[in-house]
Formats: sequence, C-alpha cells, structure tokens
Amino acid sequence: MSWYTLPAGVPWLTLALLLPLIGAFLVLLAPAAARGVIKQLGILSALLTLVLMLLLLGGFQHGPGGLRFQFEEIHHWIPSLGIGYHLGVDGLSLFLLALNGLLSLLAMLIADPRTPRFKEFVLLLLVLETATTGVLLALDLILFYVFWEAMLVPLYFLIGVWGEGRKVFAAFTFLIYTVIGSFAMLVAILAVAAITAAQTGHLSFDWTVLVQHPAGAVAQGWMFLGFALAFAVKMPIFPLHSWLPIAYPATPTPALLVFAGLVSKLGAYGLIRFNLALFPAGARGWGPILATLATIGILYGALMALLQVDLKLLVAYASMSHLGFIGLGIFSQNVFGVEGALIQMINHGVIIAGLFLVVFMIEQRTGTRARSQLRGLTRPAPLFAGLFFVIALAALGLPGLNGFVGEFLIMLGAFTAYLPLAIGAGLGVILAAWYVLRFYQGAFEEVPVQPAALTEMRLNEVGALAPLLAIIVVFGIVPSFFPAAVDATVRAVLRT
Amino acid sequence: MIDTSRLGIDYGVLLPELVVTATALLVLVLDLLIPPGRRRWLAAVSALGLLLALLATVPLWGADRSAFSGTVIGDSFAAFFDVILLSTGLLTVLISPRFLRSLGLEYGEYYVLTLAAMAGMMLLAAATSLMTIFLGIELLSIALYVLAGFARRNLRSQESALKYLLLGGFASGFLLYGMALIYGATGATTLHGIAQFVGASGSSVLLLVGIGFLVVGLAFKASAAPFHMWTPDVYQGAPTVVTTFMSVATKAAAFAVIGRVFVAAFPTIRADWYFPLAFVAIVSLGIGNFVAITQSNLKRLLAYSGIAQAGYILLGILPGSSEGLAASLFYVAAYAVMNFGAFAVVTAVETRVGEGGTEIPAWTGLFYRQPLLATTMTVFMLSLAGIPPTVGFFAKLFVFRPLVEAQLWAPLAVAIVTTVISFYYYLRVVVVMLTAPEEAGRPAREPVSRVMGAILVFCSIATIVLGVFPTVVFDWARTAAALHL
Repeated sequence: MSWYTLPAGVPWLTLALLLPLIGAFLVLLAPAAARGVIKQLGILSALLTLVLMLLLLGGFQHGPGGLRFQFEEIHHWIPSLGIGYHLGVDGLSLFLLALNGLLSLLAMLIADPRTPRFKEFVLLLLVLETATTGVLLALDLILFYVFWEAMLVPLYFLIGVWGEGRKVFAAFTFLIYTVIGSFAMLVAILAVAAITAAQTGHLSFDWTVLVQHPAGAVAQGWMFLGFALAFAVKMPIFPLHSWLPIAYPATPTPALLVFAGLVSKLGAYGLIRFNLALFPAGARGWGPILATLATIGILYGALMALLQVDLKLLVAYASMSHLGFIGLGIFSQNVFGVEGALIQMINHGVIIAGLFLVVFMIEQRTGTRARSQLRGLTRPAPLFAGLFFVIALAALGLPGLNGFVGEFLIMLGAFTAYLPLAIGAGLGVILAAWYVLRFYQGAFEEVPVQPAALTEMRLNEVGALAPLLAIIVVFGIVPSFFPAAVDATVRAVLRT
Repeated sequence: MIDTSRLGIDYGVLLPELVVTATALLVLVLDLLIPPGRRRWLAAVSALGLLLALLATVPLWGADRSAFSGTVIGDSFAAFFDVILLSTGLLTVLISPRFLRSLGLEYGEYYVLTLAAMAGMMLLAAATSLMTIFLGIELLSIALYVLAGFARRNLRSQESALKYLLLGGFASGFLLYGMALIYGATGATTLHGIAQFVGASGSSVLLLVGIGFLVVGLAFKASAAPFHMWTPDVYQGAPTVVTTFMSVATKAAAFAVIGRVFVAAFPTIRADWYFPLAFVAIVSLGIGNFVAITQSNLKRLLAYSGIAQAGYILLGILPGSSEGLAASLFYVAAYAVMNFGAFAVVTAVETRVGEGGTEIPAWTGLFYRQPLLATTMTVFMLSLAGIPPTVGFFAKLFVFRPLVEAQLWAPLAVAIVTTVISFYYYLRVVVVMLTAPEEAGRPAREPVSRVMGAILVFCSIATIVLGVFPTVVFDWARTAAALHL
C-alpha cells in the first residue's frame, strides 16, 4: 500500500542526486556579490530536493516485500569490472533520505549571507547534499564508496575554511580518521567482490548480488571488520571517537546540522546495510564486542557531556552517547533492536540538529557558549525557552516525545540480547536526564546576570525549529506509523 | 624456426616516431630561417607535427605488426603510450612559449630537443628488443640532459643538468650491463626470443642478475625509489616546463618498457622478479609519501609525489597479469592528466611571480588572487590523493583490485597506509591556497594567458570526467594490455 503511485519511467533517484548539483551549478554562475540571490538559489534547490524526497516517501509501497527496492535504476558503468550505477530505496534508506533533505534545507535557511565567501559555502553545502543522498541511494558498492568518499571533500573544506578555532587542525583530524576507515572498507569491498566472483564466475559489486552469496565465516569476519571500521569512525563508536570533540566544535553550525544530524547516521546506516546484511556470520562474531563498545560509548559520552562547559561540546558528547544507543540496537541483531536503532537514527538527527540550533541561537544572542556564563534566559525570551524545553525533553527520552520510542525499542532489543549491557545503557538514560536538564536549568532558569542581553526568537528562527518540533511531537504520539514501514526490510536484513 | 613475417621492413609501424623525428628536423632548419622575434611559430610547427603523429597512431590500434627483425612492434600497447606521450608533448609545447619568454630562453633548440625526447620515448613504447630499448632510453635521456640545463645562466639549472647527466650515465651503465647479462643467459636480444628461451629453460643466476640490473636502470628513469635521488634536485632546478614534460612523459615511457618486459617477456618467472619489483614499489610509496610531507617547495613536493605515484603504477605490474597491467596503464594515463595539470599550474604561477613562485608560502591566498589556478590545482591535488570523483580515485581502485585478487596483502597494506599519509601534503597545498593572505589590501587579480587557462581547464575537466566515466579509457587500457610478442 502507498498513498499514491509515482509515475514509473522517471529516474526519480537520479533526479534527487542532480537537483542539488544543478543548484550548485547555478550558484557557481551567480556573481559572488549577489549574496541574497545565492542564498535563495541554495534554499530553492534544497527545498525542491526535499519536496522530491517527500514525494518518494509518500509513493513508497509499504508492506511485505523483503529486500525489494523501489524506484530502482540500473545502468552499466564500468561493465568490464561489474561496476554498475544501481540506485534504489528501501525501508532502511527511506526516512533517512527525507531527514537528509530536511537538514540540508535547514542548513541553507540558517546560513548567514554575510559569511565571507558565501558563494563557495553554499556551493559546498549543495555538493554535500548530493554526496549524502548518494550514500543512501547507492546499491553498488563502488558507487557507494565514491559517494562516501566524496562526502569528505565538502566537509573538509567547510570545516577547514569556515570553521572556528583550530579549524585546519580539526579538518585534518577528521579527514585522517575517516580516510583510514574508508580504505579499510575499500579493501573489504574489493575482497567481497572477489570472493563472490569466485563463487558465481561473474565479477559484480552489486549489493543485491553480493547479499545472496555470503562468504566463508573467517573471510566474513575480516570483511566485517573492514566495513565496521569505516562506519564506526563516522558514527563514532568508542574508542574511535577522539576526532569528534575536535571536529564538531570547529564546524560552522549550518554544516554541523548535516554533519552531526545526518553524516553520523550514515555510519549507522552502513552498519545495517552492509555489515549486518552482507556478513551475518561476521556480525555474530563481532556483534557482542561492538555492542559492548557501543554501551561504553553511551556512558562515556554521557559522562563527558556532564563535564563540559562549552555547550557545543556538551551537545557533541550527548550526540556520541545517543549514537551509542543506536549502535547497541544494531548489534542486538534482533528486530526490536534494529528497528529501534532505525527510529532513533531519525529522532537523533532531529533532536541533535535542534540542540545545535539552540546553542547557535544562544551564542548569536549572548556571544558565549559557556554554560557557566548563561543565566535566566527564560525571562526575556519565554518562547525560546519553551521550544528548547520540548527539544530537551525529547533528548532525554520523555515518553510522548519521539526520543522515547526509539530508546524503548533499543532497550527491549538489548534486554533480549545482552542483559548486562542493557542495564548499562539504562544508566545512560539517567545521565542523559542529568546533563540535559542541567543545561536547560543553567542557561534558562535562575536569576539573570545580564537581563537585557537576550532578545526573543525571531520568526525565521521559529520557522527553522518548527519542522523539527513537529517531528518530535508527531513521532512521539504516533510512533506506530514508522515501524510498519521499516519492518519488512529489517526482517529481510536479519533473515528472520 | 625463424618467423619470416617478423623480419620485414615496415615503416608504418614507426610512422608516429618518424613524423616526430621529421618535425624535429624541420624545426631545426626553420630555426635558422625565422627571425628571433617569431620563434613562437616554431611552437606552432611542433604542435602541428605532434598532431600529425597523433593521427599516425590510429592504424596501430588493434594491430600486431612486428617489424625490423622483431625489434619494434606496432600494437595497441604502443599506440596507447603514443597517445599519452604525444598529448603530453602537445600540451607542453603549447604552454612553453610564454614561460620561455619570461625567462629569456626562447630558443628553437628547445622544441628540437623536446621532439627528440618524444621520439625516444615513443620508440620505447614500441621497442621489443634490448637494442631498441637502449636506443630509446639514450635518445630521450640525452635530449633531457640538455633540456634540464636549458636555463644556462641559472646555477640550479646547471646543477640539475649535471646531476641528471652523471647519475643518468650510471643508470645507463647498469641498464646496458643488465642487457648484456640477459643476452649472455638467453642468447637473444629480442623480447620474443628471450621469452621463448625463458619459457623453455626457466631462469638462471645470470639471467636474474641481468634482470636486477635492468630493473635498476628502468627504475631510475621512472624515478622509483631507491633510485630516485636525482629526482627532487633535477625537478627543482630544471625550467618548470621541462619538469612538467619530464615528470609525466619520462615516467610513462619507462613504464611502457617495464610493463612490456615483465608482463610479456618474463611472465613464467614471476616468482623471481616479484620481490625486487615489490621492494621497489614499497620503498617508492614509503619514501615518496613520507618525504613529501616535509617539502616547502612545490616542485620538490611534486617530485616526491611523483616517486610515490611510480610506486602505485608498479603495484599493477606485481600480479603479473594483464588485468594488473591494464590497471597500471590506466594509472599512467590518469597520472599524465593530473600531474601535467599540477605542474602546469606551477608553471603558470612561476611565470607570474618569478622563481620564488615555486615556494609554498608564495601560494598563500592564491584562491583570492587567481581563482582559476587555485581551483584547477585543487582538482589535481584531490585527484593525486585519489579522492572521488576524480580520475585518481579510479586509478588507485583499479591497481588495488588485482592486488586483492592475487592476495598480495603486504604491498596493498603499504599502499593504503601511505595513501592516507599522502592526503596530508596534497590537501596542505589546498589549505595554503585557501588561507587568506596576511597583508592587508588584496593584490590585484593577475590574468592567466588564454592558452594556459584553456589547457588547465581542459586538464581539470578531463580529471573529473574520467573520474565519473572511466570506462572508455579503461577499456582502451585493457585492449592495450592484452600483449602479444
């Protein structure tokens, strides 16, 4: 069933890849001084992309279908090596795609036209959107890798040129970490194709082919490791996280929305799409270890978040802690855990983007991000405080808001798979309440230090937060709509 | 039994080489007739000759014409390299006049020597005998010795030429000695004869020592470590257009020989040559990528980068398969486009700024002064690092794949670790260009010459287009790599 049927024969997914690129090309042609025009071009192309992705969301046929992909496009690319241009959407990528469109649009909306070299800034954001979209759509492993690596370039420049503080150092640190992981994945990609080619007689990098011919258990273990390294760095999973406190605070906020909100989730997406689906035996072997690391990440991130004075760092560590939950859910390797992880991926994207936006707005108003210097923002800006409070509650997993649904399912999955880890993760929930509420109380309650400093939210700022809040509330109240859509895919991936 | 079809005189096989040689002679004569102010025309004549030679390579595709007693062959392999070499030569000739004028070096001999070196390189691509290989190497070397010292009044250029000459002489000695030993072991000078002998009787100590010396001589020309010592100094000292040409074309020619000799003549004794060649590849990757980090001069940085790139190209030879060779050939083509582009940008900057233009600090804030140069340089740097969607990515992917299939994990692991390291210095160049200059008041934008601009745009578009659609060139490389002797 679906809400409507999109006309077949239209390359919808290629269109989704091209729209931001066309926008980037138009931006390239625009004179650098026409900052307003450039911003509108950016918003327009991001908006059109989002509309297209929402169309796909509505036109997606839900129901039992297993691993069937929709809106598929297959073309030859490098036929002599069995490399193809294969795009498709299933329950795993469907909602992330929409999140991608939404966060990219938000990034455009809050981008400040007074930024130096604004033209290049917008251009890189649009290129980044194509790359992240490609990562979600690609079903050929080489194509996936191309998009995965291509994501690095705009991010590297966005941090290295427009960042704050030690931006070049931050950009390099991020780059080196991710590239080491990527190359491990590249070798694993080449290996899995070679092993499958030995079985079938045809070299192919197509996911749908590879998934039908699992390799031997030992080889699977190694290849699992190769892929997991790339994805674990991006998420990040403890102990591969040390780039995060360097890179996140240095990233300019519009780019950070996509970076923290989406790119980290692409790591989790990769773990499900490739690690669980292609290497079931490898996942059985490595699963407990990675689940343990993920749980350590939950607690470590939460404890570090408690220690931070800088709000951007606080949210960065909170993000790491939340991603630990997602990792735990994935490596529970049961339907509850993986579905919970998928839901939490969307929720986390929305919540983290919201938190970073709030930090950004606070910094714009007060000139500081230090928790210790903020007091009593509620009195001059009650609306601001109220909206933030909703996001904060979602972040700590209050029932009735979206954060609860994912966390609950993950805990359920973890309890079946690894009881001790589930208890550890439960501790993480308590810590989350502590750091989130302290953040809110510290900044918004108590007696104001400098009462006149803060202004109320402007309309466009409310507009930027509104879609996030809508998702937080709607997904919290009607969570059932979501699992139904991904259930078939998750069961197929887990082979249950 | 003597295969009589291999004995014939067939000028068609050597047509591209002949056209280039004839052009060289023509330019030599014209140089005497044309007034000094009009020497630009010599560049035009050379370019025309190279274009004609490019046309002359067309009949060689898919051919298998051995001629002159089996000393040369006209096949897709030769044609593939001819196209790379001729295109490089053509672009070099086009960017030269303005640069030479800025240094006061506009002499006709420059074009004659470049064309002579081209003829030698193309002969190498077609050579199937130890004799013709040596002939080609000497022809290109002697021309390049002179070209390296072409800036006569510049001490660095002098030093560069002398170093190249002395060390190159040694390398030639090794090469010749190795050839003598191989002849002694097999009783043949044609690769065909050597392959037959080796296929029948296996290897011997004499043969292996000979192959070892051959590797030394060829690795020197390809500037692969540990025979790379000359590269940074010569690259830095030689006039930048010469370096541009040398870094791309010489390496391509050297790999034409390495590919043909090892994959076609010695496939049966791969176990014997695998370790020396793997050693050269690994050391090149290590030294090139590590030492490049510390360089503060762009020509030296690109020299070390070139050493590392030689290591990647060698990786494709290691499995000893035509799949691997095809990957190497693709890499050579990719390297030609991106490295030529990178050096061309250096040339353009140096034309503007003068000799200090090759030092990295002079590139600070290039994005704001010369956006075209900086943007194209960024493309070339990303491609050399191997980041998609550029051709450098597929070049690396294609050479890594046969290594995985042959399960040669050690060279692969070294390649991957050093590639990660290489990201540091390639991207540092980009970051320097993006860093806002310290002094207040931006310097006015300086336009780039139209020819240079067009060539840079062409190279960077080729880098990206080949990075998105590598199939055509890769299929050519596969055709070329299906070697016959």
